[in-house]
Amino acid sequence: MTKALGAALGVAASIIGMALATTAIAQETTIRMWTFLNPAGTAPREVALAKIITQYEAANPGTKILVEPQVWDQMTPKFLAAHATGNAPDVIWVVTDFLGDAIASGSLADLNELFINDWPAERVADNAGAYWDLTSVDGKQHAIFVSRNYISLMYRKDLLDAAGIDPNGFATWQEFRDAAEQLTEKDAAGNVTRYGFAQGFSEQQADPSVMIPQLLATGEPLFNADGTANFASDAGVAAMTFLTDLVKDGISPRESVSWTVDDLFEQFAAGRLAMVQGPAVRVSTLQAQLGKDKVGLALWPGNGTVEHSPAVMAGWAVGVWSGSANAEAAGSFVEYMLGPDGDPIWVEAGGQVPGLLSTLANMKDFIAQPGNEYLSVAAEGAARYGWLTPIEFSVGGYRQALNKAAQRILVEGTDVATALEDAEAEFNRLNNR
Amino acid sequence: MTSSIDAAAPSRRTRARRVKLPPAWAIAVSLLFALLCVVNLLPVIWGILTSLKSQEDLFRYPPTLLDFTPTLENYERVITSGFLGTLQVTILYACGTVLATLALALPAAYAFDRFEFPLRSTLLLLVVASIPLSLGAAALLIPNYIFFTRLGLTNAWFTLPLIYTANQLPMAIWIVKGTLETIPRELDEAALIDGSDHFGILWRIILPLSRPALGAAGVLAFVGSWNEFVVSSVMVDNPALRPVQPAIYNFIGYFGREWGPLTAAAMMGIVPILLIFILLGRQIVSGLTRGSVKG
Amino acid sequence: MQSRLTSMSYVLPAFAAMTLVLFAPVIYGFWFSLYRIQYGVQTGFIGLGNYARLLTDPSLGATFWRTVVFASATVALTTAIALCLAVWINGLGNRRGFIAQMIIILPWIISTVVATLLFRWVFLNDIGLAISLARTLGFSNVHPLNDPNGAMGWLIAVSVWKRIGYALIIILAGLKGIPEDYNEAARIDGASDWQIFSSITLPLLKTPLLLIVIVLTLSSVNTVETPLVLTGGGPGSATRILPMDVFDRAFLTYDLGSASSLAVMMFCGNVLLVLAYVRLARWKV
Repeated sequence: MTKALGAALGVAASIIGMALATTAIAQETTIRMWTFLNPAGTAPREVALAKIITQYEAANPGTKILVEPQVWDQMTPKFLAAHATGNAPDVIWVVTDFLGDAIASGSLADLNELFINDWPAERVADNAGAYWDLTSVDGKQHAIFVSRNYISLMYRKDLLDAAGIDPNGFATWQEFRDAAEQLTEKDAAGNVTRYGFAQGFSEQQADPSVMIPQLLATGEPLFNADGTANFASDAGVAAMTFLTDLVKDGISPRESVSWTVDDLFEQFAAGRLAMVQGPAVRVSTLQAQLGKDKVGLALWPGNGTVEHSPAVMAGWAVGVWSGSANAEAAGSFVEYMLGPDGDPIWVEAGGQVPGLLSTLANMKDFIAQPGNEYLSVAAEGAARYGWLTPIEFSVGGYRQALNKAAQRILVEGTDVATALEDAEAEFNRLNNR
Repeated sequence: MTSSIDAAAPSRRTRARRVKLPPAWAIAVSLLFALLCVVNLLPVIWGILTSLKSQEDLFRYPPTLLDFTPTLENYERVITSGFLGTLQVTILYACGTVLATLALALPAAYAFDRFEFPLRSTLLLLVVASIPLSLGAAALLIPNYIFFTRLGLTNAWFTLPLIYTANQLPMAIWIVKGTLETIPRELDEAALIDGSDHFGILWRIILPLSRPALGAAGVLAFVGSWNEFVVSSVMVDNPALRPVQPAIYNFIGYFGREWGPLTAAAMMGIVPILLIFILLGRQIVSGLTRGSVKG
Repeated sequence: MQSRLTSMSYVLPAFAAMTLVLFAPVIYGFWFSLYRIQYGVQTGFIGLGNYARLLTDPSLGATFWRTVVFASATVALTTAIALCLAVWINGLGNRRGFIAQMIIILPWIISTVVATLLFRWVFLNDIGLAISLARTLGFSNVHPLNDPNGAMGWLIAVSVWKRIGYALIIILAGLKGIPEDYNEAARIDGASDWQIFSSITLPLLKTPLLLIVIVLTLSSVNTVETPLVLTGGGPGSATRILPMDVFDRAFLTYDLGSASSLAVMMFCGNVLLVLAYVRLARWKV
């Protein structure tokens, strides 16, 4: 029994120790930040974040940044709940699909008041772009983007070079399809060893369907003005038919019906796919696995009227919690992390797309290095050929709805128009529209 | 009947012939077992091999079993990201949960088995009915989070041990009560005549005799709190308070699954559990045994 | 024999913890579900409005029956397999039995997310071991998760695989608790192995089997991680079961009103299930 007692005392002592350790931190101003990155980690973006925090803390003695890593898919809903109970962190990362909810709930402080109003005009202009405008609602700047996710065409540079294909030169989607067909390889027995193109169709961890760029290029919107879905337009049906035909005709793999984006990139890394739908944020990760010279990012094909179809842009925006007791200090950190000090670190150590026009200009040499071209592709695309999900109404679930429609077309043989109409109905119902 | 209170009765186990399966069934079950060996061991072996692979070897196609240069870089990455501290915290949580669960379950089980008091059977039914509560936590996650935050119970050192203890209690009470039923009441009565009070009986007679059941309930509580993921990822924020499962999950990040560190962390996370089962595996079965055939 | 006060003081600490952590949040959740929820905040009392809206959802019935099929198959298969294995292991020697037991419980002691991910990668992934092997053997068109029935089959298989260990431990404990003299006596009376098993062993295992059936039913009716990691609910809705539906409502469409009302309904269903089992087994508590 003495052993058990000793163990109990040991546990109690360590727990008290832990409690003391957490209170000791509270001596100085502590800024709590929720993100999915763990600054103690070793992934490129985690290293970048740690570096920015170290530099900021050195320049601002007395302020400590406490990162509380969260599971990324639960983070925004949890933040909104924490906001409701008055216990949210000072700094929060919000994903684009929930940005509208976060702003409408009043959980994000106006950054104009906190620091932007003190900026010279050049610095405001340095931030200009679609992402900046998205988070500016009713004269208030609710957040600034940290991670710009331009979701377009990722390709194996070595394979496309060998086949003499320029992925930026597809004037039409038909040309893209021909190239994908050409890139599909079979072995002697007739088994496909490499597919030309793929996207993941699982509802879990879904990237937006590839039908969207093609649909938007025709000028047809994905959502009506009242927030209801507009999936089953003629252009929508045509785009979804094109996409699912790639699978039916063996240019895309059948098994992609059950793939998440992670599965997709593992297949891509294994050399089983020549082109995939891929976001700019993944390029650096894949380059680390395959080599800098083997992975590139291109704009989507044109359609005869537009030069490139618009890509879905997503990403993470950083805001200050409106109920924060340390809003000034929190704002100062956000300003630093996403300003001229932090931005180059995100690019160089984290492989992120530059957020400031000045970073783009100052780091010209870095961006021109072989393998880093994706940074300028994403920056150009974001400026000219991008589409951001609306934030006036919640669009949660649209990616899943479209992927489910594709699954039904491919597995159950459902008619394309019917599948899209059902997806519309389900989306509207789940969002109470 | 006194033989049944011997803590261990190994002689009985080896003595008589046990029920055996008919030959045809025995072959079928052996085949089933062989299949299970493959299905159970292969993912673990694959996990170990993957944790020793470098980035370049991870996604070679066709997949390679042994033809690669092993490296410890994934383990280094996991350890630099603070995983050892996480393991330590998790061990504290799990031990705290086990102690608290047993300390609360034993008296409750004792009272349910030995005392007659108002609402006794209603409360016992409530214990059984609350088994789903401890299993279905994910469903009401956000309301639960709001509830606990309003009470100031989130993000503290006691948050997870408290929740885990309550989650494990129904099952622990059930297991311990099962064993108490097999301890003859004559022993209590004899002690009462000798002038002992109920607490004395609990401490000096019941506790030593129910040790196997406490061990079994303790191991179940340990496994339950060690493998818990959803509650711990939501109810605490401070990285110093985060246990092992969210730390493993962290490698299934927004920017992709990092199989190397993921498997390295997962394999390190299995070791303590494996050790417990190797050391106490027999204990858990024998601890569950005595109460288990009574109704 | 003892005062009410002493009895209560033995039970009270446990019930205090359970009330705080288990019962009160359910009541809170129910109260929460009676409101219109916007951005995680209660904005107006609407009574059973969330429930009414939920029950008009045409997909809910199919999801419910899918959950019933999934849970009954998982529970039945797990129990049957674990029972066979337990009898077999009980007949092995101590050391061999222990090793076999350790191998069988392996998936149970690994966390669900990791276990499911590894299983999917090794056996079901197109670039994993099993399918690569199948391809070299000439089976080029194996896509196990593409077919709706196949996907459900694999979901059940993985859930069974994950749970056999737990069931085995409990049944094994029950088997070891059956005094050998019972079997000996029956054998002397000329009973066959099968007769001993069906008329002595099985009835004596009633309590452990009931416990397993309760725990397995509840754990499979409430599992989110397995379908989430294995199939994401697809293809189509083939593997979308109720807990996943709750999870998606809460975290994808962020419709906390319908998510919490569905969760409360599921919870009531869970409790009814437990009571039904206890009743059916005429189990005295």
